Amino acid sequence: MSNPLHKKHDFIERSILSALAFLKDATLSEEYANRKGFLQSLDPRFNTISFLAFLVTAVSLKSALLISSLYLLCLILATLSGIPIRKFLLRTLIFIPLFSLFIVLPTLFSFVTPGEPVWSFHVVGITGIITRPGLDGAVLFVVRVAASVSLVVLLSMTTRHSELLKVLRVFGIPQVFVLTVSMSYRYLYLFATMIENIFTAVKSRVGVVSHHRHGQNIVAWNIANTWNRTTQMSEDVYMAMLSRGYTGEPRLLSAFHAKPQDWLWLLCAVVICAFLFYKGYTL
Amino acid sequence: MSDTVFEVQDVHYSYLGKFPALSGVNMTIRSGEKIAVIGANGTGKSTLLQLLDGLIFPDRGTVTAFGERLLEHSEVYEKAAHRFRQRVGLVFQNADIQLFCPSVREDIAFGPLQFGVAEGEVNRRILEVAEVLDIQHLLDRVPHQLSIGEKRRVAIASVLAIDPDVYLFDEPTAGLDPLTVRHIIDFIVSANQRGKTIITATHDLHIIGEIADTVYVFGRNKSIVSGGSAESILNDRSLLESNNLIHIHRHHHDGREHVHQHLPLEPHD
Repeated sequence: MSNPLHKKHDFIERSILSALAFLKDATLSEEYANRKGFLQSLDPRFNTISFLAFLVTAVSLKSALLISSLYLLCLILATLSGIPIRKFLLRTLIFIPLFSLFIVLPTLFSFVTPGEPVWSFHVVGITGIITRPGLDGAVLFVVRVAASVSLVVLLSMTTRHSELLKVLRVFGIPQVFVLTVSMSYRYLYLFATMIENIFTAVKSRVGVVSHHRHGQNIVAWNIANTWNRTTQMSEDVYMAMLSRGYTGEPRLLSAFHAKPQDWLWLLCAVVICAFLFYKGYTL
Repeated sequence: MSDTVFEVQDVHYSYLGKFPALSGVNMTIRSGEKIAVIGANGTGKSTLLQLLDGLIFPDRGTVTAFGERLLEHSEVYEKAAHRFRQRVGLVFQNADIQLFCPSVREDIAFGPLQFGVAEGEVNRRILEVAEVLDIQHLLDRVPHQLSIGEKRRVAIASVLAIDPDVYLFDEPTAGLDPLTVRHIIDFIVSANQRGKTIITATHDLHIIGEIADTVYVFGRNKSIVSGGSAESILNDRSLLESNNLIHIHRHHHDGREHVHQHLPLEPHD
């Protein structure tokens, strides 16, 4: 029910619950990673390496057109992997490039980037001049951010996060670090749910409307309570690990098995990157 | 050769040195026995299981396992710990604690891998225990997506994959639906028939008759107030009543309501 009084008073609660909902949806649902699709069928190691190559290419190229072609490739891969384009664009284009636009805004003007004027305007006695080098630089920056963010989001949407973490081992990250991060990640959901339940329990007792000072107290109490529970749980989990033979040096399954199509995909990725680099050099 | 698995002598344990959890517990558990430890909430059942699993150590008294005294920081214990952990497996009450890996498959594999079992054999065991507990379809799921019953079965699988001689179960049927309770009871009974020693902490009296031959009752004084055969304990109304273990039913009969106590082995009128 949309009641402006409620909106005013439960701002903190709504913010926290929305953040938790976004966290669950964006990082924990793994809805698309579990679907059948092109990227999902590939070995996560090869996916990660190929996307890393695309990322390096995107940040190295100096042509917005070539970076756009990489972005187009990203959209094609998303389609082949069963991701609704609208949802993919919402997750990438609306939020992150929006912030890059704000960052890049001052560089459009002559006082930051001097050069050939493209357009000028007067506002309250101040003259603003947008320059061509400023405009080119801004377009390049935004396209580069959009392509990079899209690549990273696509990789994270199509690969289960536990597998992405395991890929870290390919890059020589110690097993104990990978295990620790995996466990932190695994318990995020549990604590997110716990915090949601606390808010529901509070609401069931004090009602929907509470004074903002009361709301602050609830949040502070919630933080303390969650801290206590995480400490207790970390001790219990450590005991559960000891109970199953953990001695400080974890041994984990190495579950990846490369197939011919994985090598083929990596070859394609390398060829695409090499081609883009070549075109960027000759342009 | 002695077939004693655990010898617990005058064990006292307190949390933070001031909240007593066990007070003067004595018990002897032999190989192949089915033991139930019953008691109301907060009587020290879970603490006892953690002591038996060598996760915590008594403030006073001794716990001996397979003829070796369990001592914190002792060199003998440190050396023997790995072998001890292969022989004793604890299924925790809270499955979320036990399932700390990012997928069910990895959780089941964790134990055997720590004991140096080769990866091929680990994969074989994963499939085997998954079939026993009917969780093949869950292997690639993440633990937080599972129901309580599924989590409990995966937690049991993670211990079964180690194939210990002794199983410690902490409230294995709490909060589960009847069918999952049935599966878990069947698993406990079949493990015991294969020669495994079973020690179960519970306050669900309805399962005691099947999962235990010997029952120890823990009281509010944090120690054993009685012990004996499952039948004798379950028929001792005054013992169960004084230890807050009796079921109280409220019924409607012929248009009137009445409340009565109900023993697990007693036919209901």
